[in-house]
Amino acid sequence: MAFVEQHIHDAPTSFWSKYICSYDHKVIGKQFLWFGIFFLLVGGLMAVMIRWTLAFPGQPFPVIGQLMFPHTGGVVPPDTYAMLFTMHGTIMIFYAITPILIGAFGNFCIPLMIGARDMIFPTLNMLSFWFNMASGILLLGSLCLPLGAAAGGWTSYPTLSTTLGQQGLGQTMWTIALFLLGVSSTMGAVNYITTIITLRAPGMGYFKMPLTVWGLWLTSILNAIFIPVLGAGLLLLTCDRIFGTTFFLAGAAATSGKGDPILFQHVFWIFGHPEVYILILPAWGIVSDLLSFFARKPAFGYKMTALSLSAITVLSTVVYGHHMYTTQMSPLLTQSFMTLTMLISIPSAIFFANWLGTLWKGSIRFTSPMLFSLGVVFVFGLGGLTGLYLASTSIDLYLHDTYFVVGHFHYTMAASVLLGGFAGIYFWMPKMFGRSMNECLAKIHFWTTMIPLNGIFTGMMIMGYAGMHRRLYNPFIYDFMHKLMPMNTFVTWCAIAMGLAQSFFLYNFFKTIFFSKNKPLASANPWEVGTLEWEIPSPAPHYNFKEIPVVKCGPHEFGNPNLKTGRDFQYQTEELVEVK
Amino acid sequence: MNFSFVERLNGLFAQAESVADTATKALSFWERMMPPEDISSSGHLIMWLFNYTTYVNLFWFSLVCLGLFGFSYLYSQKRHKKAFYTHGNEKKHLLITALIGLGVFLSVDMVITKVSSRDIKEVFWNFPEDSEELVKVQVYAQQWAWNFRYAGRDGEFNTADDVVLLNDLVIPVNKKVMVQMTSKDVIHSFYLPNVRLKADAIPGRFAKLWFDANKVGEYEVACAEMCGIHHYLMKGKMTVLSQEDYDSWKNEQEDIAIATNDTESENLRWGWAWGSK
Repeated sequence: MAFVEQHIHDAPTSFWSKYICSYDHKVIGKQFLWFGIFFLLVGGLMAVMIRWTLAFPGQPFPVIGQLMFPHTGGVVPPDTYAMLFTMHGTIMIFYAITPILIGAFGNFCIPLMIGARDMIFPTLNMLSFWFNMASGILLLGSLCLPLGAAAGGWTSYPTLSTTLGQQGLGQTMWTIALFLLGVSSTMGAVNYITTIITLRAPGMGYFKMPLTVWGLWLTSILNAIFIPVLGAGLLLLTCDRIFGTTFFLAGAAATSGKGDPILFQHVFWIFGHPEVYILILPAWGIVSDLLSFFARKPAFGYKMTALSLSAITVLSTVVYGHHMYTTQMSPLLTQSFMTLTMLISIPSAIFFANWLGTLWKGSIRFTSPMLFSLGVVFVFGLGGLTGLYLASTSIDLYLHDTYFVVGHFHYTMAASVLLGGFAGIYFWMPKMFGRSMNECLAKIHFWTTMIPLNGIFTGMMIMGYAGMHRRLYNPFIYDFMHKLMPMNTFVTWCAIAMGLAQSFFLYNFFKTIFFSKNKPLASANPWEVGTLEWEIPSPAPHYNFKEIPVVKCGPHEFGNPNLKTGRDFQYQTEELVEVK
Repeated sequence: MNFSFVERLNGLFAQAESVADTATKALSFWERMMPPEDISSSGHLIMWLFNYTTYVNLFWFSLVCLGLFGFSYLYSQKRHKKAFYTHGNEKKHLLITALIGLGVFLSVDMVITKVSSRDIKEVFWNFPEDSEELVKVQVYAQQWAWNFRYAGRDGEFNTADDVVLLNDLVIPVNKKVMVQMTSKDVIHSFYLPNVRLKADAIPGRFAKLWFDANKVGEYEVACAEMCGIHHYLMKGKMTVLSQEDYDSWKNEQEDIAIATNDTESENLRWGWAWGSK
């Protein structure tokens, strides 16, 4: 099936060509992983600072507060607070989740799982990472500006994000950084789509691909179509900021011409709603695979799952209006958007049923990747169902812009994606770096993450139901929120606990990579799984496959009673054993 | 930022905390979770749909949990050594999946969409006619305050005798209030927690909102859309008066307006004729 033959070149020898300007998809995947983990820590620290301010208003932030805000005695000031939640959102979405789930797993898994030696465009792949890097540096640089970084919310609605509301250079740098990131993501997306279409090993039909590849593929399609839309909006915003155009300016502040701030919201959410599926689809794919791998059972209704994911991908492009109910669109539009949004529940219900069907009568091994996958089923169940409240136009009149929304999208985008990402890291670690991570620490990490995580986001939804709205430096200015003080404190302690729990991961991760040289390498297939990447040694060798494998069966062949090999699974390169 | 800023900030916090301590100590956990008191005639529609969604969600989520925890317990490797070999693509499997999809469609999609559309069309965005007896208020949002304008004694908006108030909305009880609003600078969102409503005030556009209040008292007006550094301070007060109190208050305000309105003042230079775009 492969249309293109990939030649094997010599392995690079110098440090520079091996680790910095590498064309190797595995190295680029790892570069994205490091990049993402670094920003995950930065974004996480910001989250804790936000939570600290909400729970303990007026109290200095511990340890580093005095250093960062000497002029207020360590208290986070209101302008910094606005900057923090803006940058927290931006960093987590574009610089942590995107690089880890799409950059790292996309690069690492796609060629290995479809039986290719590398991506179809290795140079584009390298460029994609370095554009990403440039964007990251620009964004971090904006934090050091005298007027601070962007502080108009991650959605950066004009006119607040024009020079009217954001005088500093920070917002301009934010806009340009995101534009660069969009260029990087588009390069990656084009590369992934083409690679999956042209480089699948012989016999690897679309319905023989692991669901991880399905998720990444659908994500890339959305990325390729919708990131350019964001790019267009950002360019117009940049013009408004630098060249004095008035695409988005209106009202008393628009001294010449007349634009429309709502235009930006349309453009932003045309991109923004597919974006949440861009983030979650790879995690769904990974979880669909891992549930089957560790239940030792074929994925239940594999084709239905793949088709449901595709249906959601299509639907995700026509529902964006539910972010804008309170702007008072025509009722006809809000009703259409509400109905379309609600329709997403049907394919979601189908793949959820299939996930549970996979567990049914399995022989479940509770390894760390499996625990994290089961965690995703739980938190995405909560996150998905709470979306029903917000899809409804009338309930949204009350809940819009409250912490209910914050809790909901953190459950779907943050909790599910984070847990899915950890599942992936624990699972592919032996293939990536050659050694498995410590299982015991991984399980401690799971429970110490999972419990506070639910405390945080359930707490947020309760506060939102009680009416607390978003992005308030001190919510207790409002009388009706005084009673929410204990809940805010509880959520903050949960956030701190969850933040500290990540040290189990970091310790485990760094120890496995850098301080385990004396330990033997992992076997080729420590998890006993049949997909293509587990037939080659760990870590995956230069150019992956000496011989391009020929695929003969699906990725989830477990527990076939007629197997005579002594294993309970089949490699994808083996002829499917018939059941009589 | 100087010392006085810090001092002011600390004062603000201390004040908020002391109030919080005394007023809310006696509340139970359940009471703390509840939304602010509903004083509108339409808020119960939102709450009904919210509760309905909660019950349906509880049903479906308990099914998910039953599967997730039940299967994890029953089919762990220890208890269930050999997995059952199935691809889940037989007719009965597809039928079960399709039934679940249909169940979700009927219980969730159909009901919520229908009820929500009805409520929006018949109540929330079914704006009262100008001929009805209404309290008309114009709202002008700015960083970081709410301006309210009532037509003065002449009944016309944007004239010299208009009553213009800052962060202070006063309405009579049990009467429909019609609000027209826009914003001076950035996008704000006019949020009345006690009425369960909000609408964005957007520069260059007019938004409208109607509501009523059936309980006399003082309530809060909040800005729900991030509008800059001091977004959190953009708080207004909504006072609901009995009809008699309202009439005398209105009368008094109209006298003050006629006596003191300075047409040159910037605070007054923002009105528009009612209903015009």
